[in-house]
Amino acid sequence: MFNKVLIANRGEIAVRIIRACRELGMETAAVYSEADRSALHVRQADEAYLLGPAPSRDSYLRGDVIIDIAKRCGAGAIHPGYGFLAERDDFAQSVEEAGLVFIGPRPSAIAAMGDKGVARTTVTNAGVAVVPGTEGEGSLTDEELLQIAPKIGFPLLIKATAGGGGKGMREVQSIDQMPGLLQAARREAESAFGDGNVYLEKLILNARHIEFQILADSHGNVIHLGERECSLQRRHQKLLEEAPSPFMNEELRVKMGEVACTAARSVEYLNAGTIEFLVDRDQNFYFLEMNTRLQVEHPITEMVTGIDIVKEQIRIARGRKLRYTQDDLSINGWALECRVNAEDPYNNFLPSTGVLSSVIAPSGPGVRVDTGVYAGFEISPYYDSLISKLICWGETRGEVILRMRRALEEYRILGVKTNIPFHQTIMDSHRFIAGSFDTRFVEERFSMEDNDAEEKEDLPMIAAVLATLVSHRESQLSSQIIQRGDRDTSNWKWVSRWERMHR
Amino acid sequence: MKYIATIGDKSFEIEILSNGEIILNGEQLTADFQSVADQPIYSLLLDGQSYEASIHPTDSGIQVLLRGQLIDVRVEDERQRRLRESSGGQVIQSGDIHLKAPMPGLVVTIPVEEGQDVASGDNLIILESMKMQNELKAPRAGVISRLRVKTGDNVEQNQVLLILS
Repeated sequence: MFNKVLIANRGEIAVRIIRACRELGMETAAVYSEADRSALHVRQADEAYLLGPAPSRDSYLRGDVIIDIAKRCGAGAIHPGYGFLAERDDFAQSVEEAGLVFIGPRPSAIAAMGDKGVARTTVTNAGVAVVPGTEGEGSLTDEELLQIAPKIGFPLLIKATAGGGGKGMREVQSIDQMPGLLQAARREAESAFGDGNVYLEKLILNARHIEFQILADSHGNVIHLGERECSLQRRHQKLLEEAPSPFMNEELRVKMGEVACTAARSVEYLNAGTIEFLVDRDQNFYFLEMNTRLQVEHPITEMVTGIDIVKEQIRIARGRKLRYTQDDLSINGWALECRVNAEDPYNNFLPSTGVLSSVIAPSGPGVRVDTGVYAGFEISPYYDSLISKLICWGETRGEVILRMRRALEEYRILGVKTNIPFHQTIMDSHRFIAGSFDTRFVEERFSMEDNDAEEKEDLPMIAAVLATLVSHRESQLSSQIIQRGDRDTSNWKWVSRWERMHR
Repeated sequence: MKYIATIGDKSFEIEILSNGEIILNGEQLTADFQSVADQPIYSLLLDGQSYEASIHPTDSGIQVLLRGQLIDVRVEDERQRRLRESSGGQVIQSGDIHLKAPMPGLVVTIPVEEGQDVASGDNLIILESMKMQNELKAPRAGVISRLRVKTGDNVEQNQVLLILS
């Protein structure tokens, strides 16, 4: 069996996997792009090999090069992390054909769950409910859609097949509105994506996005590690997750957990995976999709179950039996994860790049930081904007919210803009504290200007003092600097040339 | 020196004395003010109360990020205030705006053409960076006088993308 693992990823997840390997006494081989020579995963791994230039398609997506390196350095297994090659069944297949172990599910399960249509049919056949709709049934004509619509029921959504970001999406209340809205949706989809195909989906009111973590071994055992609440999203990007969900009760957890295990068994699932559900306010739940890989937000499940999911992944890949049965598991306390991204929450979440000049991570009781960066490292435009994951644990939901507030306030990241102020505003939001939010909360009912915090009343005054001190300091400085320039030409002339140059 | 700091409709009168003390709303306080590690981040001890904030000058004033709140402050000394008041406080929005790339990236779509009229908030360019598509919007209404990039271009940070006049 393998004793060296090649990690086909970068950033915090590569570091996370290295840690698990270390604790199991395994050797690690990192791979990196030219932009990542000094990244933390390269510095921490036992071995590191160059893949190619910075763009992902020339480096972290080069499955052939990665398999070559694994064979050359004697790694017996490849861990794909998340993103990049993690959900590519052809890559998993090639890894197996090269005689290596892919730490993840079988290629057939990745393929089955990767295709929306196949996934929906497979789990429906296993008796799992899916969100009613026509997704994955190919492109249907208006007449066909109008016929199907009453069977799905109103209200429903028209969505663009190629879509995203709400473009080409229309809410339909009744059949009379539908022909007009279909036209509008197709037009918008055509102009936004160059593809006018649409599908129908039942509109779930006050939907929550709740997912179940699954572990499955090669001996046919499948267990779930409880749920994660991931409703706080922006443009389908999760921002903050918690476990357990404030919406969940024990009865529903048992029911959904069983369904999740059934869905996993329907594709003979192996290793760690996640079943995503939409849950409406009446606790009806629908299968959304399965993520056939380790999730970004896996740490919150680790915090409340005490199970190291990445180590379990490696054990499962080594052919070992699961060490737990469903009855061994219980949920202890509450965990939150804030994704700290290099994004400006005050400017439409625009990504921010640059060198991190200083990073002081929070610590202390109940705080965990998973990161792949350090002061002096450059956040480049080539990869996603995740800087770190700040994870807190508390005995109760109340305690963990207070702890997360404390940790966010401690966190100092300089050099790029981060979304920490966004998380702070969420932690102060009454609706979040009360647990009453759904998947539309961030986009429709949240603004950085809403501030429910009470004891911040004298902040404007302090801000006024700070701003005054800064401008005082600057005017003092500039009064010392004003003198004839060192340039041989007039400063006015120089400024005008400089401005013209930048046109 | 006497200053007037304005936040929204509130204003504060702040006098800075040469010994490092300040007078805030008639109250004299000791202020120990330092920048941290040569960064635009400042530590203030105001009569023993400790505050830390990141502070950036912008076109319209000074931005203070304090305990997770972003606050825009306009600071004037008495002379500037008198000047502004006598000129009627007019803000004239004119001149060319050079829309610059806020980060390096790839130009995915340009939904506007040269010569086109745009309203404030219209999408001008979609720039892909960090696997996200970012909409760059018009800061005010105007005419696209020049397009400096085309779809598929890779752009550097601060590169001028188009001129709005």
